[in-house]
Amino acid sequence: MWRTWLIFDPRRALVALFIFLFVLALVIHFILLSTDTYNWLDGPNSAQGAMVVETTG
Amino acid sequence: MSDPDDRLGLRTYLTPEEAKEFHKLFMGSFLGFTAVAVVAHILVWVWRPWL
Repeated sequence: MWRTWLIFDPRRALVALFIFLFVLALVIHFILLSTDTYNWLDGPNSAQGAMVVETTG
Repeated sequence: MSDPDDRLGLRTYLTPEEAKEFHKLFMGSFLGFTAVAVVAHILVWVWRPWL
């Protein structure tokens, strides 16, 4: 396994890995925020949810 | 200097020793990251199970 670093340059690999993990974390957190059950800020069926129900009738 | 690990031809500027040293640090950090992730998932499961 250590031979990986004879093939891939550690510095570039680390930078790529950090960027990838950061973007993935952003995506996952925002997906969770967009759900009802996992929105830890507004909580479930918040005002936006109710407003949608009103407008769509 | 016929180094058995040299047959790959592709060489970053690392020597095998440096690669092994880096790998040890990399694996340690990886395990730490995984441990934190496992704890986070356990906490979220306790808060709201997803299955």
